[in-house]
Amino acid sequence: MTRHLSSVEISEWVAGARSRRSEDHLHECAECRGELARLQETLSDFRASVREWSAQGAAAPILKVRDRTSAASVVPGFKELHRAYFPPRLRWALIAAAIVLLAVIPIYRANRLQPTPDSSLDDAVLLEQIDEGVSRSVPAPMEPLTTLVSEGSTAAVNRTQQKK
Amino acid sequence: MEPVAASGYLTASFDNAAIELDDFDAVVRLHWPAVFRFALASVRDRDAAQTLTQDCFVHAWKARAGFRGSSTVKTWIMRIAVNLVRDHARNRRLRFWRRATREALDISAAGGRLHDGTISAEQRVLIGEKVRAVWAASGSLPERQRTVFLLRFVEDMDLLDIATATGLKEGTVKMHLFRALQSVRERLGEHK
Repeated sequence: MTRHLSSVEISEWVAGARSRRSEDHLHECAECRGELARLQETLSDFRASVREWSAQGAAAPILKVRDRTSAASVVPGFKELHRAYFPPRLRWALIAAAIVLLAVIPIYRANRLQPTPDSSLDDAVLLEQIDEGVSRSVPAPMEPLTTLVSEGSTAAVNRTQQKK
Repeated sequence: MEPVAASGYLTASFDNAAIELDDFDAVVRLHWPAVFRFALASVRDRDAAQTLTQDCFVHAWKARAGFRGSSTVKTWIMRIAVNLVRDHARNRRLRFWRRATREALDISAAGGRLHDGTISAEQRVLIGEKVRAVWAASGSLPERQRTVFLLRFVEDMDLLDIATATGLKEGTVKMHLFRALQSVRERLGEHK
């Protein structure tokens, strides 16, 4: 019997690079056949684990896509993807919210822009006060002083005339 | 007369593929599980795998007119999936590996022989450990090795179909597969 297959030769065999020597040896060596079988069994277990794991979520998407699209075209493009990402309930909720928002905004703006009678009255009074303030020669707090100054200047003029 | 026969074969193959693609509903039904499985085993994130699978069929739908029947529909669709998974992994490498490490721990709970009532508890533990080791090893493989490994040992595709799906030469596929197997076997050796 030829020497046993090396680890590299076993990997090569499983990878598909099968030499004549490996084939001949496997025919006559139960030990190497056993090692190969164990590796293939592990890989098969791995395959089963992936398949089982993915099967938990694989059926649902098919149904989801099929339910939400026409029978003629299962994946026609963005329209159906849009449907998939925005389910009908969410879509209707968004549409309702948008309608409410559109209805409320003009009402709010109208209420905000319409001048109230009180505020217009206040505005008129304020303008009058401003006009008064502008037309004054001196600020309001200084007005008493101006009368004093004018009285004092009149008395001085009188005294000057008397001296003459 | 042979070229005529070959041409006839190609025409027949193209016609079959065209007929198959005409019923896209059936194409989705038939190939969705394989694409989803490949995406899930690659990215190890259920939501991302679902999105990738959906994107894959959207791409296939848009590109169906350009399908010439040079491969089977499954290989053609898997090629789209391989490209999408590769782009996804490159775009989200950090997040991908974080998730891969976390989710890999729960994976080995699944598996065909693990539910077999005839095997002993010890055997079940041993199988579970080995499957977990393969999961861990495949998760840490370089992207091309992992793709080739999953297509070969999960999807059961032959080397020529893997070469078509990945755009690699058959010899390169064998090389990647060999290296992937060596890494996996090293990891299995640690768990023996």
